[in-house]
Amino acid sequence: MKIAVCVKQVPDSESRINLSGPVPELDTSSFTMIINPYDQYAVEEAVKIKEKLGDGEITVVTVGAEARVREMIKKDCLAVGCDKAVVVDDAALAGADSFAVAQVLAAALKREQFDLVLFGIKAIDDDASQVGIMTAELLGMPHVGYIGDLELKDGALTAKREIEGGVEVVDSPTPCVLTCGKGLNEPRLPSLPNIMKAGMKPVEVLDCAGLGVEVPASLTEVKQFAPPPPRGECTMIDAEDPAAAARELARALHEDAKII
Amino acid sequence: MPNIAVFIEQRAGQIKKVAWQMLSEARKLTDAHGGEVWGVHLHAASCNVNEDAGKHGAHKVFTAEAAEFDRYDSELWTQAMAAFINEHKPDVVLVGSTAMGKDLAPRLAARLKAACVSDAVGLSWDGGLVVRRPVFAGKCYADVATRGDVAVVGIRPNAFALAETGGAAEAATFSPGLDAGAAKAKVSAVETAAAGQISLTEAEVVVSGGRGIKGPENYAMIEKLAEAFGAASGASRAIVDAGWVDYSHQVGQTGKTVAPNLYVACGISGAIQHLAGMSSSKCIVAINKDAAAPIFKVADYGIAGDVFEVLPALTEAVQEIKKG
Ligand SMILES: Cc1cc2nc3c(=O)[nH]c(=O)nc-3n(C[C@H](O)[C@H](O)[C@H](O)COP(=O)(O)OP(=O)(O)OC[C@H]3O[C@@H](n4cnc5c(N)ncnc54)[C@H](O)[C@@H]3O)c2cc1C
Ligand SMILES: Nc1ncnc2c1ncn2[C@@H]1O[C@H](COP(=O)(O)O)[C@@H](O)[C@H]1O
Repeated sequence: MKIAVCVKQVPDSESRINLSGPVPELDTSSFTMIINPYDQYAVEEAVKIKEKLGDGEITVVTVGAEARVREMIKKDCLAVGCDKAVVVDDAALAGADSFAVAQVLAAALKREQFDLVLFGIKAIDDDASQVGIMTAELLGMPHVGYIGDLELKDGALTAKREIEGGVEVVDSPTPCVLTCGKGLNEPRLPSLPNIMKAGMKPVEVLDCAGLGVEVPASLTEVKQFAPPPPRGECTMIDAEDPAAAARELARALHEDAKII
Repeated sequence: MPNIAVFIEQRAGQIKKVAWQMLSEARKLTDAHGGEVWGVHLHAASCNVNEDAGKHGAHKVFTAEAAEFDRYDSELWTQAMAAFINEHKPDVVLVGSTAMGKDLAPRLAARLKAACVSDAVGLSWDGGLVVRRPVFAGKCYADVATRGDVAVVGIRPNAFALAETGGAAEAATFSPGLDAGAAKAKVSAVETAAAGQISLTEAEVVVSGGRGIKGPENYAMIEKLAEAFGAASGASRAIVDAGWVDYSHQVGQTGKTVAPNLYVACGISGAIQHLAGMSSSKCIVAINKDAAAPIFKVADYGIAGDVFEVLPALTEAVQEIKKG
């Protein structure tokens, strides 16, 4: 089985957001970059599938500057069981939106016949939740989004996904695109020897021209960043007598906030 | 002047409330800038959305009926919505950011080669659509402009208020042009959750517990308070990872995003990743024995007290009020 996993590098969620200038712009200089946490579930799922079947090949694909993603590809992907990597590094893709990235990924993925293409459900920087499903459409593949459970059969799969008030059971033939999130598995940590060995695994670096595609135009553009709307002051209720505090809170929610 | 199409989602014949919220907000835009609001509804059996859609702002409601619409299918829904958009050419298509909408919108946008923006909390028109949405886990907002003939925009449930300022909507039908042969991934079954369980993402009130509840046996205390409020019960990641409650309860960056009218955080510190999932709630209550806990920075009401002392009394007080 040939599996592809698409991973993105994102700022750590502890990163401070600084907005500077008259048109608030994002100051990204202090960001600590990590593998998108959801993509770790996709990587782990690919490795588990390969281990279970006892054979297969896992290709990691990322769109990003090679010098910045190198460590992530090695430590978080190749050292935990992926076999090779494709890095699409093209300066013209800076600021590309989801659909542009999906087009580049689709072009990279078309170069081989993958049975499964795994994504994270969303990237924690743009919080878009789009790229995986868009790429499925561009590849003409079915997708199952946000799977919580996966069972592989010969040339087919059954996945479960949570919906409001229940679970959908989805059957699909392969090739298929799956988007992965928490609850699916427990991502493993790389061991030191495996990190050393990962340095030997092949990493192919190319740009859009190398993929034989034009740099796709973005259809969305961030005009400005703004701070989140301020929340009002917190009304602290005297907690000296906890039961009285609880009654006062219930009263305030009922009479002042009129929520209950 | 924009014509705005609003996807009126149904599951098993039940309409999602976000549909009415989107119609209400869309109508505000067209009242100010011209254009019409169109409801678009796919259904399997005779439906009756016209009246409600009109009331909430739709000028017209377009429906398509097909037996296939009794169960969600990404391919067929995409076909139907694409058929509608190609025929009627709206400028903007609004889709609720629900389990279904998050699945449909990117596929639809990619098929139409259209701009796609997800999880919007604000819409404005400035010669073109400008969408406001939280990014970086809600630590900042981005104003996004779109290009092209049509934009597909996902709307966060509860971001917009309901307004009943519309009138009667004109009824129309459209042909969804289904090609069932193209659908490869199929929903073979829907397992419904236990009766009486309120879905976290749709609840009006959410009561969540964190590590402050000390052990799995005390989650019942959270559930009791939730029951008194008629609320869904949530959790921080800490207690999900500890195995005290199922992952389906987790609120936050790697869990669910909720925006209820009332969010009650009990024994939760308020880490940025937790806030990512709940900070757009209308009213936030925090109960935490550490008065310096960051959760109080986003809270509207706070009690710096012990959950074991406060929650039982709060449960009783809420029950009293609910009894009337
Ligand atoms: C990539 C990533 C993703 C994450 N995603 C999420 C996510 O989706 N959701 C999420 O919640 N977290 C997430 N986290 C974890 C997050 O950083 C915090 O660790 C977590 O939210 C802490 O949970 P907590 O508030 O229950 O526990 P703690 O931080 O331990 O806080 C417990 C609180 O309870 C209070 N307390 C203790 N005893 C009592 C008492 N008797 N009465 C009242 N108060 C009491 C304490 O004062 C303290 O403030 C993520 C972290 C990372 C790195
Ligand atoms: N630049 C990228 N390179 C590779 N994969 C990506 C990239 N951006 C997004 N993805 C994949 O698409 C998923 C969803 O991202 P998004 O739609 O941006 O929220 C991520 O979890 C990744 O699996």
